[in-house]
Amino acid sequence: MTAIEVRQLQKTFQTKRKAAGLGASARALFKPEYSEVEAVKKLSFQMDAGELLGFIGPNGAGKSTTIKMLTGILHPSGGEASVLGFTPWKERRKLAFHIGTVFGQRPQLWYHLPAIDTLLLFGKIYELDDREAKKRIEFLSEAFEIRDLLETPVRKLSLGQRMRCEVAASLLHRPKLILLDEPSIGLDVVAKQRIRDAIRRMNQEEGVGVLLTSHDAGDLEALCKRVIIVNHGQIVYEDKVSTLKRKHLTSKLVEVRYAQEIPSNFHLKGVELLKVGRYGVKLRFDSNQTPVDRVMAHLSGAGDLVDITISDPPVEEVIAKIYKDGPA
Amino acid sequence: MKKYLAIAQMQIINNIAYPGDVLGRSVSIAVFLFIFAGLWRTTFIIAGTESINGLTFADMMWYLMMAETLELGRPRTNRVISEQVKNGEVAYILNKPYHFLLYHFWFGVGDSLMRVGTNIGVGVVVAWALAGPPPSLAGWGMALVTLVGAWVLHFCMMALIGLAAFLVEETNSFELIYQKAVFILGGMLLPLDMFPEWLQRIARLLPFPYMMYAPARLFVKPEPSLFWQMLAAQWMWVAVLVFVLALAYRGSERALTVNGG
Amino acid sequence: MKNIQFLLALWKANLQASMEFRAAFLTQVVFMILNNGAYFVFWILYFDKFNEVRGWTLNDMMLLFGIAACSWGVAAYFFGNFTMLAEIIVKGRLDYYLSLPKPALLHALASRSIGSGMGDIIYGVGSFILSGYLSPEGFARFIFCVFTGVCIFIAFLIIVQSLSFWLGNTTALSQIALSALLTFSLYPSALFNTATKFILLTLVPAALIGSVPAEFVRSFAWDGFLQITAGALILLGLAVTVFRSGLKRYESGSAIQVEV
Repeated sequence: MTAIEVRQLQKTFQTKRKAAGLGASARALFKPEYSEVEAVKKLSFQMDAGELLGFIGPNGAGKSTTIKMLTGILHPSGGEASVLGFTPWKERRKLAFHIGTVFGQRPQLWYHLPAIDTLLLFGKIYELDDREAKKRIEFLSEAFEIRDLLETPVRKLSLGQRMRCEVAASLLHRPKLILLDEPSIGLDVVAKQRIRDAIRRMNQEEGVGVLLTSHDAGDLEALCKRVIIVNHGQIVYEDKVSTLKRKHLTSKLVEVRYAQEIPSNFHLKGVELLKVGRYGVKLRFDSNQTPVDRVMAHLSGAGDLVDITISDPPVEEVIAKIYKDGPA
Repeated sequence: MKKYLAIAQMQIINNIAYPGDVLGRSVSIAVFLFIFAGLWRTTFIIAGTESINGLTFADMMWYLMMAETLELGRPRTNRVISEQVKNGEVAYILNKPYHFLLYHFWFGVGDSLMRVGTNIGVGVVVAWALAGPPPSLAGWGMALVTLVGAWVLHFCMMALIGLAAFLVEETNSFELIYQKAVFILGGMLLPLDMFPEWLQRIARLLPFPYMMYAPARLFVKPEPSLFWQMLAAQWMWVAVLVFVLALAYRGSERALTVNGG
Repeated sequence: MKNIQFLLALWKANLQASMEFRAAFLTQVVFMILNNGAYFVFWILYFDKFNEVRGWTLNDMMLLFGIAACSWGVAAYFFGNFTMLAEIIVKGRLDYYLSLPKPALLHALASRSIGSGMGDIIYGVGSFILSGYLSPEGFARFIFCVFTGVCIFIAFLIIVQSLSFWLGNTTALSQIALSALLTFSLYPSALFNTATKFILLTLVPAALIGSVPAEFVRSFAWDGFLQITAGALILLGLAVTVFRSGLKRYESGSAIQVEV
């Protein structure tokens, strides 16, 4: 079954152009000059019910704009979309009963109230009866490990705790599909992992479909089966995550710091040194060509390790690589 | 001294950058004068006289024009100070080689000069259209001289309310009440001449008439004896309030160190 | 029905939030009552000297203040975002309300409560009781006029602020419009000439919040009733229409992002 079907979706924003100064302001009031920005250009894709689909791309790629059209917040400039059988911008409120949304940078929990109060309010908004709402909150607070946080005013929670409450709130009304816009933005590694685990669990247990935007390739690896990469409002890549991983997500960034000064002739085969300082090194390697354990063994053998971070390259680099290598 | 003038100058330029603000105040003045022209024109027709308690319809309108332009142009030192206390900026100002209160005084001067200037411009046009030509040159002179003292009094009160922000979180309520005291006891909405005798006597014992009534009344009735009398009382109140302000400032300086600001 | 339940739940959440800052809330309420009372001293002094103006006495002014203050207070306390709409539109904060299955405009308006509004409500009711026009029918008419007054305040501001969908931030403009509306609503329109009266019934519908309702509460008259009812309905209809058509152009703050 298809959850989302998008055909030739477009969104063009008109931005007012205004020169500086009072005179220009006055002129702009009567005869404004517009310039057009195409945020989304003829986008087409499909998503199955219960699928975990990642929607990634750099800032300003059109991810959020697309999500906002799929929830009915924005009216498209052209094209069609059907979400759970509804046309979002025409049947926004009907659709809203069946989907959940989280906008990472726009909290929906009331700031001065404990999360439980917002959850109960959401129960009213989604027209659940009180018993049902309480039972559901009970279940979610276990799944998201937020039982102890529910009574604390939201302003006193850490970002990671708050985000778990936010995602839990979006699942209160048993939606068939949730749209998560940058749910992991600003979170540390552990907090990201906990959110991802809970989302995956909800997908497995309740079959809720997840459409997730992110500019963190880690979200994608951990959560999604399929990925769509957008850039400049267009799809540049669409495939299974496993394929993407094999072909393009192979390089790793490593940063290490040592207790002592490192030898000036620090060197390792199959590894690209990005920066060598007196106490630390930053390097990149391709895990397809150089095994991870060999790099790790060498690094820990070079001195007493104080600190190590391993990360995936930013999405921008992945996209650049896809452009260079050509689509799969 | 030079640095303080620079602050005032900065604030004048700063105000030019907000044409929306000028428009807003102009509309306020126009609406205010328009409504009161309606009220007093009707009142004079019903009373069937040229003047009530010595004031004609034209006197009334020019009085209100002067009062309203001052009300909308007076310093907003309380808001600036409490904003600075809230966002912690106050620490930077205290650390600079300025006297805190003198900084705010000149900041206020710059702020007001610009606003009173545009207010009077608009006020004159509106009042002229509603009530005929403005008062004599003597009126302008006496009004301008007493405006200075009135402004200093306003500044002291606003700075006092602003300093209260060191102690309590919300100072807007104080300003509202202060504003209403000026509206009524200061004679902004109704000249003291129209008050019942007993209330007039009470009002004259308070600083409020010298913040509003003095310049507005002398503007429409420039009587030399009244001028000297008002001026003396006004500056006596300036002396009192400056003294109170200085005390309050020393007190709040201590409160700030306690807060660790 | 479900929407009423939803509104009640929203107001409950607002109340809970304001109880987090109980002392500040009570201070605001008390000071607003004092503030309104102090302002009204003008009319006490005026009518002390002149007994009436075009048929308006001190009691009539108390009635007018009662209705206007109460209308404002209800709007501010129960629909506190009605002065913030322009900012909500421009900064993309409508997203939240649009992503939930309740009427977005109603939800947005009722999601904030201005504490001092409760002070205006208390002052308004008090002023009405003291005006001497309290009677069962008078009270019913008072409630009706407060209800229409709330509609007119809110509808007027929705219309002005919805221009933000087309013109960008209209907060400054709407503040000017609001202060004109509010100021004019506190004076009897009998003071003005016919042209001004017409404007106060239409473009700046202040008379429909102040003088017309005051006369209507004083004694029932069909023309007053029709003016108030028609005014409120037309303005509300216009407000919803303008907001809805603006929504099609809603940019959710994205345009700003694109610009950078």
